[in-house]
Order: sequence, then structure tokens, then C-alpha cells
Amino acid sequence: MSIRRNLVSLIAGALPIMAALFLWYAVCALKLAPASLLPSPVTVFTRLIALAGDTNFLTQAGITLFRLFVGFAIAVVLGVSIGILAAGSRAVATLMQPVVRVLAPVPKIALYPAFVLVLGFDHSSKIALVVADALFPILLATYQGAAAVEPKLVWSARAAGASPAKCLFTIVLTAALPSILTGARIGLIIACIVVFLAEMITSTDGLGQMLVRAARNFQTVDMFEPIITITLLGLLLNAAFNVLSARLLVGFAEQP
Amino acid sequence: MNGGTVLPLVGRPDRIQRVATNLIEIAAVSKVYDTSQRGRHVALSEISFDVAEGQFVSILGPSGCGKSTLLYIVGGFVDATSGSVRVSGAPVTGPGPDRGPVFQEFALFPWKTVLGNVMYGPLQQGLSRTQAATRARELLGLVHLTKYESFYPKELSGGMKQRVALARTLAYQPKILLMDEPFGALDALTRKHLQNELLEIWERDRKTVMFVTHSVEEAVFLSDRIFVMTNSPGRIRKVFDVALPRPRVRAELLVDRRYQEMVVAIEKLMDEQEPELS
Repeated sequence: MSIRRNLVSLIAGALPIMAALFLWYAVCALKLAPASLLPSPVTVFTRLIALAGDTNFLTQAGITLFRLFVGFAIAVVLGVSIGILAAGSRAVATLMQPVVRVLAPVPKIALYPAFVLVLGFDHSSKIALVVADALFPILLATYQGAAAVEPKLVWSARAAGASPAKCLFTIVLTAALPSILTGARIGLIIACIVVFLAEMITSTDGLGQMLVRAARNFQTVDMFEPIITITLLGLLLNAAFNVLSARLLVGFAEQP
Repeated sequence: MNGGTVLPLVGRPDRIQRVATNLIEIAAVSKVYDTSQRGRHVALSEISFDVAEGQFVSILGPSGCGKSTLLYIVGGFVDATSGSVRVSGAPVTGPGPDRGPVFQEFALFPWKTVLGNVMYGPLQQGLSRTQAATRARELLGLVHLTKYESFYPKELSGGMKQRVALARTLAYQPKILLMDEPFGALDALTRKHLQNELLEIWERDRKTVMFVTHSVEEAVFLSDRIFVMTNSPGRIRKVFDVALPRPRVRAELLVDRRYQEMVVAIEKLMDEQEPELS
């Protein structure tokens, strides 16, 4: 029953994407746009299949993926730790709140030139930007989730003999997981966008840099490859995230 | 729980001696909330009473009279504004495994199975996983949930959840049970079943119980003493000693004049203070 429903919703969800691809194909087939500027999806996907065996292309994708993962991981660890500590300690909350209020709305991309100057062209500047952008949604979701945990859960654990610190890192952290994972999912999407953006602005490698180089040389087919690759990566990461969430959230009420 | 190991001959003189001592001493406890929007709200005003070891005591009162707050103060979850609570002679400064709470909202850990929930306390007490699982299974047997040990709380009915919550608390062997309207969220039939079960369990080792409720019948059926509270500020209005014989059987009590008279007397007392609610 539920497998069938999932299949139906999967097909239904694929329809608009198929329609968009068809529209793209139709525009090319009817020669509404010159092929040199807008290559046909057939050309683009044929090229993508060829690139799937290309070492250089895979290396570039790997570099982007590496930056994305490291940045996201650091953002999760920092965001969850600070969020939980702030929920558990009034002192930490008082210290952190103004900092977060000031920094959260800053467009982090504006800090990127500074990151490049300080950390160089290599991985660190891109990772730093991913961390800066993905951190806040995770931190805020963790803090709000932890602050909203039913106090009677904590009382039950405290009465059973758990120390306040132990309660915070076992009971509060776990009880806040649905909220933390929602924040982490937003953080992951932001990380996908930002790592690409950073590579487009200043980089010597990675998918974003490939796109910029192709665009500057009017290699329009090659321009589409990094876009489709990062889209597919995002889809895959999201699916992996769903599997992990479902495992972590066993026992919790269904998520909308 | 350990009721099976206490022999009547050993247990009885011990109990007589214990009844003479006060396990819980509540002295002039007040709780004042200072809120910027609504000003000063006196939730509890100068509450004083003692509870002897092995007694089943109910706190009865209209909603909002601070009876739950009093229970949380004894539990060490909430601080009193003034006054003191002593348990076994030592002042209460925070929660401790000698006082086990059971909440109306169950407050089970949703990510743990039924067995995992009940094992939690014994594990905190330093038992090994095997020992904790053995203890937890004993208690699940006691509350008739053996078949459900691998279920998650969300898969259980309200009555079953509350049985798990009771087993989870009994598992770390508290001296005192603090029950906060534990059957308030249940339907009438389940409520009666659980009252019977609670009394059965209680008869085994006669733990000290502080039971908060707004149901007069429930209080009279279960308790040795009933403290009736008034609304804002929360004060003890009157104390009733329930001299009904134990073990209590509901069908017998319902036709017992003493039971009926006490229920009526308390109902009348509570009706008198009803207008204050508006």
C-alpha cells in the first residue's frame, strides 16, 4: 500500500521535471534558440555520460564534494554543540545570542574575499564559507529544538539519577533530533549552493570553476555539465539524508 | 518489585517503626511567580505538612491551585520561593532517585523502546545492561506489558504508556512515588483499571506516595490521607483521614457508608470554593 503510494508520488513528482526537459528539447528542436548558445538536452546528456568516465571531471566533482562534506560536517558539529550548550546554560545563551543576532543576517558571501585573502585559494577558504553559511540554520534549529524539549522528559531522567550534563547530551540532544535534522537539511542545501558559488567566484578547481571557465570560452555544452552534476549530487545527498533521518527518528512522531 | 523478598515477619515490625517517622517534611513552602505581564502570582502560600513513611497521600484541589507545583517542589524539579522540604531528614536541593515522578503526560523517551525506557533508571543506577534488562522485564510483568517490550511509546495506548511510565519509575526503586494526575489523560474505564493496578502494586511494598488529583473518588479510593487545597493562593484547606480498610475493593467501597459520606463531604467542601474560579 505505502510502497505503491510512494511509487505513484515519485512518478507524479517526476512529471514537472520531465515537462521542463521536454520544453528545453522543444525549444532546441524548433530552433528557437541558436544551438551554439542553448545546446539540446540530448547533446548535454550524451556529453555527461562521456564525462562520467573522464578522470579530470571526476576529480573536479570529487574536490567540490570534499569541500561540501567537510564544511557541512564542521557546521553540524559546531552548530549542534553551540545550540545544545546555549539551551543548557543561561551563560552560554547570553554570550551567544548577540553574536548570532549580528552574524546570522550578514550575507556570508561578502566575507568570501576576506576568506580567500586570509586562507588562500585552496580548500580552506571554500570550506570556511560553507561553514559560515550552513552553521546558522543548524545552530538556530538546534537551540530552538532543545529549548522546546518537554521539561518532564528531563525531570524523568534527572530523577532516575542522570546528571544535568548527561541529561543535556543524551536526553535533550536526542529529544531535539527532529528539529536538528530539519536544520541540518537546510544546512546541507545551503552547503551545496555555497560551495559551487565560492568555486565560481575564485577558484582554481572544482565544478563551479569548470562552469565559469566553460562559459568564458563559449563552450556552452560544457557549461551545463557542472550544473547537472551538482543537481544530481544534491538529489543523492538529500536521499542519503532521508535514509539517515528515518533511522535516527525511529519512535518519534511522523514528520510532515 | 522487592515486595517478594520482604518477609511478613521481618517487614511488619519494621513498618510499624517506620510509620512513626516522617519521610517527607514540608515546612512553610511558598511559591511566587513574578511575571512582568501579569504581576505577582502566589501559587502556593505557606504550605506545611508531613507525610509518614508508607503512607498514600493525595493532594486534591481545583486546577490551578498549585498542587502540581507542590509536587514538583518535593521532587526537586522546581525551587520553592521560601520554606523548605526535607526528605528522610535531608533538605531537598534537586531531583534524586529516592523520589520517582509519574506525570500525566507520561514523558516517555520516544526514541527508546518500552524495554529501553524501563531500563533507563537501572542503567543510571550503575546496573549492567543484563541486570537492567532483567529488572525491567520484572516490572513489565508487574504492569502486564511483557509482550510489548519491543514497542515504541507512540505505538501504545494512553493506558499502556502510563503503565510503562510507572514501571520506568519503579525500576530505580524510589522510596517515594510522586504522581502528578497520572490518570488524568485517560478514559474513565482505563482510569479505573489503572487505579486498581496501582493499589495492587502499592500493597506489595507500601511505598510512600504523594498523589495529585482533582478527582474526589480517586483520592478517597486510593489514599490514607487527603489534603484538600484552595485556589489562588494555594493553601491547605482541610485534611481528611481515610480510615477505610485495605486492601480496597471498589465494589465494596461503593456501598460503604463511610466512603460515600467522605466523598460527599469533600465534594461539598470543593463546591464552596468553586466561585473563586471566575
